Amino acid sequence: MTGEHPALALRGLAKRFDGTIAVAGVDLDVPAGSFYGLLGPNGAGKTTTLSMAVGLLRPDAGSAWVLGHDVWRDPVTAKRLLGVMPDGVRLFDRLTGAELLAYNGLLRGMDPAVVDQRSAELLDVLALGDAGRTLVVDYSAGMKKKIGLACALLHGPRVLVLDEPFEAVDPVSAALIRDILTRYAAGGGTVVFSSHVMEVVERLCSHVAILAGGIIKRVGTIDEVRGDRSLEQVFVEVVGGRTATGEELSWLSR
Amino acid sequence: MALPVTAAPAAPVRAVSARHFVRLKLRVMGNNFRGQGWRVALFIGGALVGLWFAASGFFLFAAPGLAGDDRYAMLIAAAGGGLLVLGWLLLPLVFFGVDETLDPARFALLPLPRRTLVVGLFTAALVSVPVLAVLIATFGLVLTAWALGGWSAGLVAAVGVVAGLLLCVAASRAVTSAFATMLRSRRVRDLAAVLLAVVAALLGPLQIFGLAALRETDWDRLTGVASVIGWTPFGAPWTAGIDVAQGRVWAAPLKLLITVVALAALLAWWSRSLESAMVGAASTGRAPVRRGVTGGAVAQLFPRVASWVRRDQFGALVAREARYWWRDARRRANLITIAVVGIFVPVMLNFGGAGFVAEGEQGLTLGASDSSPVLVTLSMLFVGVLASVTLANQFGFDGSAYAANVVAGVTGRVELRARMTAFSLYVLPMLAVVAVALSVVLGRPGWIGLTAGSLAATYGAGLAVNSFVSVLGAYSLPETSNPFAMNSGAGVAKGLLTLLAMVTSAVVAVPMVVAAALLGDAWLWLALPVGTAYGLGAALLGAYLAGDVLDRRQPELLATVTPRR
Repeated sequence: MTGEHPALALRGLAKRFDGTIAVAGVDLDVPAGSFYGLLGPNGAGKTTTLSMAVGLLRPDAGSAWVLGHDVWRDPVTAKRLLGVMPDGVRLFDRLTGAELLAYNGLLRGMDPAVVDQRSAELLDVLALGDAGRTLVVDYSAGMKKKIGLACALLHGPRVLVLDEPFEAVDPVSAALIRDILTRYAAGGGTVVFSSHVMEVVERLCSHVAILAGGIIKRVGTIDEVRGDRSLEQVFVEVVGGRTATGEELSWLSR
Repeated sequence: MALPVTAAPAAPVRAVSARHFVRLKLRVMGNNFRGQGWRVALFIGGALVGLWFAASGFFLFAAPGLAGDDRYAMLIAAAGGGLLVLGWLLLPLVFFGVDETLDPARFALLPLPRRTLVVGLFTAALVSVPVLAVLIATFGLVLTAWALGGWSAGLVAAVGVVAGLLLCVAASRAVTSAFATMLRSRRVRDLAAVLLAVVAALLGPLQIFGLAALRETDWDRLTGVASVIGWTPFGAPWTAGIDVAQGRVWAAPLKLLITVVALAALLAWWSRSLESAMVGAASTGRAPVRRGVTGGAVAQLFPRVASWVRRDQFGALVAREARYWWRDARRRANLITIAVVGIFVPVMLNFGGAGFVAEGEQGLTLGASDSSPVLVTLSMLFVGVLASVTLANQFGFDGSAYAANVVAGVTGRVELRARMTAFSLYVLPMLAVVAVALSVVLGRPGWIGLTAGSLAATYGAGLAVNSFVSVLGAYSLPETSNPFAMNSGAGVAKGLLTLLAMVTSAVVAVPMVVAAALLGDAWLWLALPVGTAYGLGAALLGAYLAGDVLDRRQPELLATVTPRR
């Protein structure tokens, strides 16, 4: 039924905060089954775009569809298909890992027995089982990312939207998260994630979009965007970074 | 001129002084106002309320001077000033919290000597509306001293008033900081909870004493009490000027010395707890890994109080809220307040009458109360309203974590009903104890129905009103571990919002008072069933209607409770 719809479709999404434009009209089609990387420098509007796409932030203009369901007109259906891991948002961190998973599972209307089974598996695979009764607030940054990912995966969403899943994660945990995401995508799921770690994006993604200053600068499959150069070269060129001339900050080098 | 980056200057080029802290605070306050018209409006509203209190306080303190009557000067200075200090000490703990515009933790990395930091933060704390209001009010004392004893007495009074004000601010900072440190550590949190309860409980007896004292016609004896208070830090700064006016010039330096010593002690105490507040923010320490997990994830989520709730969306919300009311220091502090105030205020109100006074040499004795059904209902109304107003910013407690519920698409009605249920798991038993205890203390066991019914009705009505307030008037709380901290500007907002919620809840519950006044003895029996039905109906209707509103503005609510960084 939803085969012909893109997993995530954004049309003209725009948002301004106190007079500054954060996102100036973003159009994006994420094909079902793709592994989609949203690239951009700090402050490019990645978090704002993704928040509007999943129903956390009301856009000033534009709309978002998940597998053909309008996120803002029909939120219940759209949200059921979505698994979300926001960045810079607290979890209900005065619960233990297991409690947090149970909370999210039941909140999604899942059967308690299924919640128990999946939580145990997720905690085991993500190496969080050892934490026992430790509250999430006392977890390390990497552990928090992993439990956040587990919460997003628990109900078996069709589309996974992750904001900066590899930020502040050690290489071991990052590899674990990569493996899980790859398996999820191989099973027919769609992953959309934001990042500014080129190496991860280059290794994982089938499609990328480069966002800067609130607009999409480049979009397509990774080979289309990259051409015959490295993704990092394309990114720096598109974003327009400056290179130090050596005159300023001379006090840094004796 | 290429100075190596690693060659730190031996001494700071320019020393940091208190002036910088004050300017920083003003700048932070100003930036908070930018582009937020309603915040400016709230601030101005709060300032006007403060001015009004300041003016009435001024005339109270100035009354003996204006009347040219020095008999009561000492009494008013000692009692009024003492109450001020007590208020600054206790009110932040119980109701308002402290303004943490300048969060000490932010200064942890700066190379500042502790003395500079304490003096700076203290000076910055002086820049606030309440301080200005108290300064205006207490200048009434200067007027009194000047009118009664000439310019020298007035001058001493002015010095005393300023010293007293410093004492007030230091006391409130030191106490809240110390309590915050205690509540932050999970190990001693229960001890701290008990201590807080005891401190807040002092409010009760003191007010009973105050009420009794007001009824006492023997003013001379009260003046005796006042002159004793005048030799404690509570009264010393305020009475120094009066002493000069009344010819006891030798007393003034001693009293100012008492004040300065108390002030120094408080600042030293604050400085010690400040250290731990700064370090604590950087690392709360790794909690020991607790093992011994039993049962599946779902079984772990549901605490024993909520074990009967069904295992679905509603149940998950109830269980998580029930856990949070206990695990979140900020919420737990609120529960303790309800417990303490809920017991003492009704007792005070109902024994405030003729039965409870100082009689002859026996001192305070419990006499037969002259309470009435209407008075009982009114006191229950206060408790019910106070308990429910805790939920006025229930989404603010969650902060950005509320995003989980938005993402999961929880409907507003389920959300609000679950939150009411979880809160009631703790509060209803407390209210039941209050209802039974009050009727027993009053010596009228037959009034249990009346007390319980009134409580149920007002509590339910309050839940309904606060559902709306929490959806429409939410504000963000800072993400610090200090349960008493508030964002700058939010202080006024919080006060006004709380006041609005309380007044509206009380209005909704007024039918219970009317019924108590009109129906006579029959009401003693009807109150419980009618009150319970009224409360339950109001709460459900509130969740139903406010739930609709919540459905329409979930993302906006999330944005308002997310702390700005």
